[in-house]
Amino acid sequence: MPVVRIDISRFSKMVGANKKKLIDRLPYIGLDIEGIEKDSVRVEYSPNRPDFGTDFGIARAMKGLLGKDAGLPRFATSPSRISISYDRRLSSVRPFIACATATGLDLDDEDIRQVISLQEDLHNGLGRRRKVVAIGLHDMDAIKPPLSYTAVASSFKFVPLGGNRELSIRSILDGSDEGRAYGGALAGSKLFPVITDSRGTVLSFPPIINGDVTKVTSKTKNVFIDVTSTDQKAGDDVLAVLATTLAEAGGKLGTVSIAYPNPRVTPDLEPRKIPLDASLVRSVLGMNLSQAEIVKSLARSRIGVQGKYALGPRYRIDLLHPVDLAEEVGLGYGMDRIGPIYPPSKRPGSFDRFEDFLDSASTVMAGSGMIEMMTFELTDEKCLYSNFGRPSSEKVAVHNPKSLEHSVLRDALIPTLMASLSKNVKSDYPQRIFEIGRVYSKARGEVSESWHLACLVAHSQSSFTEAKMFLESVCRIMAGKEASATAGQHWAFSPGRCAVAKVAKSELGHVGEVRPEVIDAFGLGVPVSGFEFDLTRLYELLK
Amino acid sequence: MSRLTVVRRPPELDLVDLATKAAAPLTLEALRGQFGSAEEFSAAFGRARSAGWVRVEGGPPPIVRVVDSAGPRTLSSLLVSISAGTTKEALPTDQSKLVADLLKRGVLSKAEARTTSVAITEAGKEAATFSADVNLIDKLTPEVIAARTWRGRQMRPIDVEAKAPRFAPGRRHPVRDFIREVRETYISMGFTEVQGRSVHPGFWNFDALFIPQDHPSREMQDTFYLEGLSDKKLTRTGVVANVAATHESGWKTGSKGWGYHWSIDEARRLVLRTHNTVLTVRALSESKEKETRVFAVSKVYRNENLDYKHLAEFYQMDGIMVGEGLNVRHLMGFLTEFYKKLGMSEVKLWPTYFPYTEPSLEVVGFSKAVNAWIELSGSGVFRPEVTLPLGVRVPVLAWGPGIERLMLMRYGLDDMRALYGDDLTWLRERRELAGS
Repeated sequence: MPVVRIDISRFSKMVGANKKKLIDRLPYIGLDIEGIEKDSVRVEYSPNRPDFGTDFGIARAMKGLLGKDAGLPRFATSPSRISISYDRRLSSVRPFIACATATGLDLDDEDIRQVISLQEDLHNGLGRRRKVVAIGLHDMDAIKPPLSYTAVASSFKFVPLGGNRELSIRSILDGSDEGRAYGGALAGSKLFPVITDSRGTVLSFPPIINGDVTKVTSKTKNVFIDVTSTDQKAGDDVLAVLATTLAEAGGKLGTVSIAYPNPRVTPDLEPRKIPLDASLVRSVLGMNLSQAEIVKSLARSRIGVQGKYALGPRYRIDLLHPVDLAEEVGLGYGMDRIGPIYPPSKRPGSFDRFEDFLDSASTVMAGSGMIEMMTFELTDEKCLYSNFGRPSSEKVAVHNPKSLEHSVLRDALIPTLMASLSKNVKSDYPQRIFEIGRVYSKARGEVSESWHLACLVAHSQSSFTEAKMFLESVCRIMAGKEASATAGQHWAFSPGRCAVAKVAKSELGHVGEVRPEVIDAFGLGVPVSGFEFDLTRLYELLK
Repeated sequence: MSRLTVVRRPPELDLVDLATKAAAPLTLEALRGQFGSAEEFSAAFGRARSAGWVRVEGGPPPIVRVVDSAGPRTLSSLLVSISAGTTKEALPTDQSKLVADLLKRGVLSKAEARTTSVAITEAGKEAATFSADVNLIDKLTPEVIAARTWRGRQMRPIDVEAKAPRFAPGRRHPVRDFIREVRETYISMGFTEVQGRSVHPGFWNFDALFIPQDHPSREMQDTFYLEGLSDKKLTRTGVVANVAATHESGWKTGSKGWGYHWSIDEARRLVLRTHNTVLTVRALSESKEKETRVFAVSKVYRNENLDYKHLAEFYQMDGIMVGEGLNVRHLMGFLTEFYKKLGMSEVKLWPTYFPYTEPSLEVVGFSKAVNAWIELSGSGVFRPEVTLPLGVRVPVLAWGPGIERLMLMRYGLDDMRALYGDDLTWLRERRELAGS
């Protein structure tokens, strides 16, 4: 989740409250405190609240909660007289654009850092790494309107941000960090979007990089914002969050005329109407709040009320349903003022029979003198296949694992138990270990799952007979039936020292002495014997 | 005192013997044939030649001639003398280099011997006479019991303070014991246990919980998708159609929906469940009970690199509570009580965000070990966008806590990997019921 750094003294001035009070209340607007330093606090915010991406936005909410500045914030706009034309060929490349201006800004270094951090978070969150939405901030005084959002070929050249010479679109895509990181959004396209002014100066090549001429510096007072997107709603949401944040930072907002899809003016910062259902609020919170208390609580969450509707500020992109107002009332009222009620149960509870069966298998095995292991279900091909010299053609693999050690779902427990033995060669022998765990197999495009029990016995005198003794005892106790054994084969066990274990004529698993090649492959120095059988099948058999 | 043992006869002696005893000088080839392997021969021949005992002459074919018989004799008699028990210290000093060489080659082995004289003390003498007392029983045997010869006699006292041999009993895994405790806690609060598969179509893991298809948590870097597998039986009918329409435009739930084009292919992809709410929700959708409490303690899977606070698979103990009139205060009440039973008496509930609950609360508990509030569980009231498409019209409270953090606190550990690190020594020796 994204993180915002809050400078305490700056924030205290913005909100008008002391450090202790602020740290105590931050969690109650839904922010997670990630770390507290001497002069600052780092908080994590959820991506549904992009308006928390700067201390401006957090201060706005906090002032509401503390009753210092409650109610719906209003954002005035006036026409900037900038218009932008649209090249219809872009409708299949990056169709949507929305713009705004913010003038009369006087940003200090921390203001700029906050805004840039917000821009990054918006790119990564709502913007889905710029694929869906990309933002450009420009020095408005370097622009000569009207502007064009137009399509160009890959040979088109301009000076990109931070560059000192013209580069072609193609060489930016192939040769720059930004091109490689974000070029995927334009993959396969022969036409590329650029925003230019009336002199042909390039403001931006979205979603890759801005032009150098219009770059924002600490001296910039007037900012032009462009937001391009593949999803108009997402683009408009991002613009609303950014514009209202710049308004909090002291900017006067200006609108821009957009030619597509219909002629329109952006940003649209009108509050959104949500039906206010007081009885729903009361029933979700379990609080018999009066209408006045509900209105007051909403005001503390910076939400207005007009007749039967609540008015959500435009930057609140997370208000989808009337039920969302219940939480806003709860937050404004104070979640810690809503007392818990324990709901006594009217019915007795019940264990799942199979989970109980697994649990009792563990008790029986531990009672046999074994140590229970819990290894990972995801393991690697070496442990599962090559150490046993068997093919991996039927493996159940996961896509793009972060670590190859956790890339294949096991089809048996013996391999990961062998790995456990090999990690414990310095521990005292004899070692007798077992595991009850889930295994996976694949047949005809479907994955099936079952629970196995396996045990391994490792010491200098370990033998088939010892393993069989444990197998027979656990079967007798779990099933109430004697297990029988017939000569068989298994990839873990030596031929001639392996048997198929059956209960009531149903094949359950194998018992045997682990092959010396396998013992060697796992780096062990003592003989190992053991068994593995299907607990799911045994359970079915007993039902 | 170093006692020497002859481990094996040096092969160069065999070679000299063969060459000496042959009726006529042997060819190199013939001599080689007398040895079991080429390696053995070349070792023997190499040593004999470098010691100057033999020489290769003439040829073809070349023959091997013994040119020094004193050397082999010295070595032989040394070995004989060692076999007879002569210690290293008792051997002539000019042979120490040879002995060192033979030890290095493994021809000889050395054992340090120490002589300790033991004398019986007065107390010992007394004990000896005491134990000879016919009125004391050394060991109670079946015979003694059967014949009742113990009558009027006592057991001979032994040193009861001496250490007994170390024994490692069999044990259940601490995670299993903790899970048992959690299950019992749930049962005591009126919950029914459910279990189920680890592999589910994305539909049940994500879509049914109103998690939009382009939500970052659905991306491969966070979620394990099974390679090349999907649930082709899933079609846009019934519950699936309701959920799809809810995502797109809110369906009949009163919501705006997410406003995007929903894809069945994305919903069909098979994932390793990322939470167990998938189990409780499926149970709910099948039973449609108006009043029920259901829980599942099972593994969840996340595509993570392992570190002290992240695992790729770990346990969660998700639950839901369904019933007319349930609200966020009951959620708070339940969670406070649940954690109290599990040993966390100080918990707080902070607002947070999940796509599928409204309101959403985060349970934090105070850890004395780190002197801070730590996250214990996400929780909330299911959104109408979750319940209505499943045909559930009553409030559903839901939560999904992990178990590992609680366990770490209990065992005083700070690394989640330690719980599953298959360290046999810890599993054998850890204190039973630690911290509880």
